[in-house]
Amino acid sequence: MNEIGGVPLFFLEFGDIVAYFSPFTLTLFLLALVFSVFVIVSRPERQIDIAFGADAFFAKEISLPELRFRRFMAIACGLACMGAMVTGDVFDFTLFVSLVGICNVGIVAAVRTYHVQDAAYQYGLVALAGTVPLFSAAAIVAATTGTLSMLELASPAAPAVPLIARALLVLGVMGEGMAPFYAAKAEMFRAPGAPYVIMCSLSSLLIFLRVTEVVLLL
Amino acid sequence: MIIQKISRILSNYDNILPLFAGACAILAVIALLSLPLPYFEDQLYPKQIVPGSTLNPYDRGGPPFTQADIRLQYPQNSPTAGYVTAYLTPFSLFLSRTTMYMGTTIVAHPGGILDEILYNTRGLDTVVEPTILFISFAIAAYIFHRRED
Repeated sequence: MNEIGGVPLFFLEFGDIVAYFSPFTLTLFLLALVFSVFVIVSRPERQIDIAFGADAFFAKEISLPELRFRRFMAIACGLACMGAMVTGDVFDFTLFVSLVGICNVGIVAAVRTYHVQDAAYQYGLVALAGTVPLFSAAAIVAATTGTLSMLELASPAAPAVPLIARALLVLGVMGEGMAPFYAAKAEMFRAPGAPYVIMCSLSSLLIFLRVTEVVLLL
Repeated sequence: MIIQKISRILSNYDNILPLFAGACAILAVIALLSLPLPYFEDQLYPKQIVPGSTLNPYDRGGPPFTQADIRLQYPQNSPTAGYVTAYLTPFSLFLSRTTMYMGTTIVAHPGGILDEILYNTRGLDTVVEPTILFISFAIAAYIFHRRED
């Protein structure tokens, strides 16, 4: 097997879907796990707006229902991330990545600010469009190699995965995680509620790291 | 300088969707140009449509109550594979004998036909798929509900 992320330490079998923990995937898994725990135990930040020309400031309060919903979304995002980090199946990976994309939109969609909602809508459309290259990549992998298991595809005997399938997979992950669009994600970070919002960028970073391994493995 | 310009364009979230759509279109054109892709004949999950079978398209073969021979990636992980479609509840059996639509009622009634591959050996996929659906329902419900307060 082409061991790009190190020798797998142990396997977790779900029938034909085998999650494997190599040093690389285990590190990413632990990162997602630790941050999920942070999200569970931490309280959201309170943004302070300073009023110009006056000796005043405003603290943005986050209501309890909004806090609960965003925490739920952030935990779901963390769980989806953990799944995407360790799964050893191409189709399962694409499913987890699209779950991460939807959770990202959910975290910001709960904010009541107009421009954040507007941004969340645009990200939602990108995540929606991203599923097309994502799942078509999985379909092409299945059709051209006959299998979806990364462990089988990593063996030298496996048929070659066409370059276009890898390109589609990367583009799909870019759409779901919006990884290269950090400049535009500034709108997201301006949303109040720090630990939950940072889950968006952490998850997109993690899935992007993982997809590099997947593409090199295939 | 050029990074500054790119960053300025990207920082406007209205530009992201056209940009991404453009990238998708370019890649779609490349994908079309790279056709035909070779089809691997030895598929892991072969599926043949048997026109006469009432269990179509979930007929994996095999007589009831005995194990059917099913191709798997890791047979050692699913020792009970092959039993699922071989078993039908009395109502499912009745449906499959009287109508041709048993295959369309996958989980629509208790003891409905279960596809071996879809629900047993690739069960994690089946769990993740409804999770995506439920998460999107949760977001939609939250946003819709919030409008009223």
